[in-house]
Amino acid sequence: MVWVTLKKAAKYLFRRPYTRMVPKSEPPFKTDHTRGRHILDLNKCTGCSLCKMVCPANAIDMEHIEVEEGKYPQNKKKIFPRIDLHKCTYCGLCVEYCPFSALSMTDVTGFELFTTDKSTTLKHPQELAVPPESKYRVTITKAMFLGVLQNPQVKPAGKGGSHG
Amino acid sequence: MAGESVSKSLMLYFGPQHPGAPGNVAYKLWLDGERVIDAELVPGFLLRGFEMMMENRAWEMNIVIGYRFCVEDPDSLELGYAEAVDRLLKYDIPEKAKWVRMIQHEFGRIASHLFWANHMSGSVGLRTTGFWSIAAREEVLKWFYKVVGHRIYHSFSVPGGIRWDVPKDFKELTLKTADKIEELVKDIEAALLKNSVFKARTKGVGVIKGEDAIKLGITGPSLRAAGVSYDIRKAVPYENYDKVKFDIPTGENGDSYDRAVVRFKEIHQSLRIIRQAVEEVKPGDPWRIKLPLTVPPGTGIARVEAARGEYMIHVVSQGGRKPYRVRLRSVSLPLMTTAIKHVIKNEEVTIADFPVILGSLDPCAPDIDR
Ligand code: SF4
Ligand code: SF4
Repeated sequence: MVWVTLKKAAKYLFRRPYTRMVPKSEPPFKTDHTRGRHILDLNKCTGCSLCKMVCPANAIDMEHIEVEEGKYPQNKKKIFPRIDLHKCTYCGLCVEYCPFSALSMTDVTGFELFTTDKSTTLKHPQELAVPPESKYRVTITKAMFLGVLQNPQVKPAGKGGSHG
Repeated sequence: MAGESVSKSLMLYFGPQHPGAPGNVAYKLWLDGERVIDAELVPGFLLRGFEMMMENRAWEMNIVIGYRFCVEDPDSLELGYAEAVDRLLKYDIPEKAKWVRMIQHEFGRIASHLFWANHMSGSVGLRTTGFWSIAAREEVLKWFYKVVGHRIYHSFSVPGGIRWDVPKDFKELTLKTADKIEELVKDIEAALLKNSVFKARTKGVGVIKGEDAIKLGITGPSLRAAGVSYDIRKAVPYENYDKVKFDIPTGENGDSYDRAVVRFKEIHQSLRIIRQAVEEVKPGDPWRIKLPLTVPPGTGIARVEAARGEYMIHVVSQGGRKPYRVRLRSVSLPLMTTAIKHVIKNEEVTIADFPVILGSLDPCAPDIDR
């Protein structure tokens, strides 16, 4: 009977709607692992380009920046990553593979990154080093990927059935 | 298609913009009045060469591409790629990773089935239950957002285990989410499956019976609705599926209604698996092993029971940083070609039934265009 549907629908008629008025009455929903805009620590980055090599979206390019003598001595060539947030898939691989913990991600994402000027999506190293203007938390850091077992157990032959 | 009757018939494009079309595909329909006499798939709207793309990228980069074959059910593909590479490297991943991967896999299945419920309710004109299913799916997506950090594409199951440790309140969070989904799904089930309009539109429509389904190459819920009790999770268990208790729901008539019933029953079975698996996730256990940068020559094959059927992911390495070949067995191709042709040949399908039958088979368009 159609009544079944109507009866169930009556129950939901007086519930709070699922949609939320963001950002008018509520802030956007964010969690401890939300992956958003990156932060770069210029004092740690050595310009090794591993983040560029691992990026599946080709969002990272290395850029030479002019700095005063003696600044960032760890980075001989003074090249730092430049990230195009327009291309980025927010996978976090660059954070995972950076050997010097120079990159991390914040929870600034979604419409907070919206812009009418496409050229601003390209974040130069100095811009990446400045934390975002709005309130933010650092969510994805290199520390999360540590504690990985280094010596894998090789499976005894035969396990895994007919999968080969 | 040739012949007298066809030349007199009207050819109509169904999709790719049609709301009843399952994604980025079109159909050429030949109509005789209201009746559909033949249907031809027009693929290629999403051809990006995913397999080729993966062959040009390093192993660890491919975890981000490997699941984009299907938007609605990416977790099965993610797990499939991770499994295949694990098998290639012959690694035994930590137990905790296996359990969490299973929970992710099952939540992915639930999200996919709920998305299907929205599509299906839409195709028979019952939008209300569709909105409820989207609300229930939202609970799954929130769980993903909290644990994984993304809503749709997760890149969490990686070769070697899972990406990072689960949050401290993982068990409570998972059980709470499961309870919420169960409550909503029970309502959707009652409102949709017992509705006389839904019954009238789906019972006896799009019948594919057991033997035929096997011959047509159908897998997944559509095969089980046809009465064949076949599920990779039971037939060739992967991860820890041999250590949990669950049933394989089957149908009898193999019509669109049975396929809907089977999918709703599967949601409950998935919740049952999640509730068992979450008990085994212990805080402090290792969750990942480090992969080498270069992979030795060899092959790895993984078969996973996705929400739509069986995906087989085959990776071949000739050593080095990149796969030599990545191959995917598509679930949706038989559903969209042989299955739909079989139905049109054997029963009177009107233009109004076509989206219902297609919806009940639940193909995912992108995976035919890989
Ligand atoms: S998050 Fe992923 S896509 Fe974005 S810059 Fe880093 S590696 Fe590239
Ligand atoms: S951010 Fe990290 S990986 Fe990228 S160049 Fe700097 S040190 Fe290397």
